[in-house]
Amino acid sequence: MLSEPTVEYAGIPLPEVEIFSNALLSAETTEKVLNALDPIEHIRQINMTGESISKNLNSGPGKGIPNNHSERKVIKVGGKDVELRFQVGAFYIELNVENQEMLDEAVEKIRAACDANMPRGFSLTVGRYSKYRKTLRDYK
Amino acid sequence: MTAYKRQFYPGNSTPAKNRRRVMDPKVKLKKLRDVSMDDVVRIMGHRNPGEDYKSIHPPIEEGKEPDCPIRKLVEPIEGAKKGDRIRYIQFTDSVYFAPISPYQRAWMYLSRYRGLDTGTLSGRQIIEMRERDLEKLAKEMIDNETFDPALTGIRGATVHGHACRLDENGLMFDAWQRYVWDKDKKEVVYVKDQVAIPLDRKISVGKPASMADLKKRTTIFRADGVDMRDDKEVTAYGLRIHKLRTLGGYQPFNVKDV
Repeated sequence: MLSEPTVEYAGIPLPEVEIFSNALLSAETTEKVLNALDPIEHIRQINMTGESISKNLNSGPGKGIPNNHSERKVIKVGGKDVELRFQVGAFYIELNVENQEMLDEAVEKIRAACDANMPRGFSLTVGRYSKYRKTLRDYK
Repeated sequence: MTAYKRQFYPGNSTPAKNRRRVMDPKVKLKKLRDVSMDDVVRIMGHRNPGEDYKSIHPPIEEGKEPDCPIRKLVEPIEGAKKGDRIRYIQFTDSVYFAPISPYQRAWMYLSRYRGLDTGTLSGRQIIEMRERDLEKLAKEMIDNETFDPALTGIRGATVHGHACRLDENGLMFDAWQRYVWDKDKKEVVYVKDQVAIPLDRKISVGKPASMADLKKRTTIFRADGVDMRDDKEVTAYGLRIHKLRTLGGYQPFNVKDV
């Protein structure tokens, strides 16, 4: 189960856009997609999921030696360094919008950004996919 | 009474026919590539090429075996004669129309070879065998049509990836990246051995097959390929076993009219 929400509760469950890629993305493509999403307004946060890549080998006779996976690296997003620990397969984009028009506009911009940068295709859905406020489990 | 003729697998769909093909020891599987024996040994990582085989018991010819009727009956395989260690190779097969899947690997191995132990898991299949025999078998398995460079992985540990989406080059996900895509040659190249220890030099295993070709070659039933339910005979066979097992437990022969 997911731990605490990644950002503070906005007061209402804001809509989220799920971009589910048809292929697992390389670090280079992830960087391109994130930089294309960066200037879009009303994006409150972007979470990514994918297949975990360990820094070192965690079992077997080579336990402890560096993994040297080409897709596990630091990428630049909007001038900031982001350390990728996954081969990214999906983006969850939370939108800070107030009405349907604002939502539609933002979704179209997100779709255009993904169309331009994800040649293997993706599916886009709008809903609420992740935890947005603390629940009983988070008070220990 | 005529001798029973092995039938291998029911059905008339492509995957069913392919299943019969791989299981039938009389069918010679097509050889699609030639990875040298030294490179196969390097990928497996149990010994260095050219190194002597380590042994765990003296050669059988020395005659220190106990008097045993089974030992007299069974001809030992070469590695057993020499007292080789048991080593392994493990293949991971993607669900995206890999040429074969783990369960059929078990059927194929046991139908075609002697002296091996194999274990099936959802995405991978291990073969344990005497070292020198294993090397020969591993070479055959890497060279023949049941191996696809992009959708079959040689992975001793951290095998995760068979049910993951493929990456942008069409390769099955590997958290340890044992093989990489060579952009210029359009080939898959191994850079680490099966437990991800870096190799001294890259080993090419050739070009991946096209999806259209794989769909013809695969033994995998899939809703977006050939659905198992569309093959009536295969469905009936599955249901029959299910029914016999449910009603009969360990005495399916006592269940009538199924």
